[in-house]
Amino acid sequence: MRRRVCSFVLMGAGIAAVAFMGGASRSSVAKAGQPPAANVAVKIDNFSFGPATVTVPAGTTVTWTNRDDIPHTVVSDDKVFKSKVMDTDEKFSFTFAKPGTYTYFCSVHPKMTGKVVVQ
Amino acid sequence: MTGVARAFDPQTALLAKHAQHVVLVHFPIALFLTGVAFDWAGRWTRRKALSETAYYNLLVAAVSTLPVLATGLLAWQFQLEAQRLKGILLLHLVLGCTSSVLICAVWWLHFRARRRGAALSGYLWMIEAVGVAVVGLTGHLGGFLAGVNVG
Repeated sequence: MRRRVCSFVLMGAGIAAVAFMGGASRSSVAKAGQPPAANVAVKIDNFSFGPATVTVPAGTTVTWTNRDDIPHTVVSDDKVFKSKVMDTDEKFSFTFAKPGTYTYFCSVHPKMTGKVVVQ
Repeated sequence: MTGVARAFDPQTALLAKHAQHVVLVHFPIALFLTGVAFDWAGRWTRRKALSETAYYNLLVAAVSTLPVLATGLLAWQFQLEAQRLKGILLLHLVLGCTSSVLICAVWWLHFRARRRGAALSGYLWMIEAVGVAVVGLTGHLGGFLAGVNVG
């Protein structure tokens, strides 16, 4: 009887191990097949951009999300991109095709500044 | 350019991301609230000096609403490119315009009574009370928008 219980336990453990390894391998295959991340998120909260500076490869889309109770905008100093007034939970995205440093600010609160470095 | 030089540079002071509206808005708010306080004190104590003080406070308050209104509308036109406003910004705009009208109306009612040599209308204190409430609410929203409540 005891031997039968032990064999069932071992069999169960074996099945669990195989299932885990199979899942892990499927997961790693899926990750390897995915294209490199091309979207970076910047959060607007408590009157600041977070992170204030992001460094991304060319072709990356940066998405700003307003998590504040106050409306904000995202405007680049050289007017390359300019969002509409974003209320709470509204988003704005821009794809950076050319390398360079893009400094931006909120036109409602000009002291709020941020930077996107495109490599 | 050093910090002191930059502070007195006309371009920096007038153009470069400098929010004139936020600076100027304190004048009509303070003058109107003080003017109404002096007016009510003048009626209560029947002292003419207090009523005179109230009149001139309200006069300067009414005059100072013009640059405040102008800079607020210009900020909307240029900084926000006249976008269709919504939410707090729209409410602030509507209440700001209402506040300006009320401040000017209160001053004008005082001015008309002085010109006619007549006593102030009995209902004027009610208009002043509404004005104080609307100005207070507008200022509260303006402070909220400017982030003065951020800890």
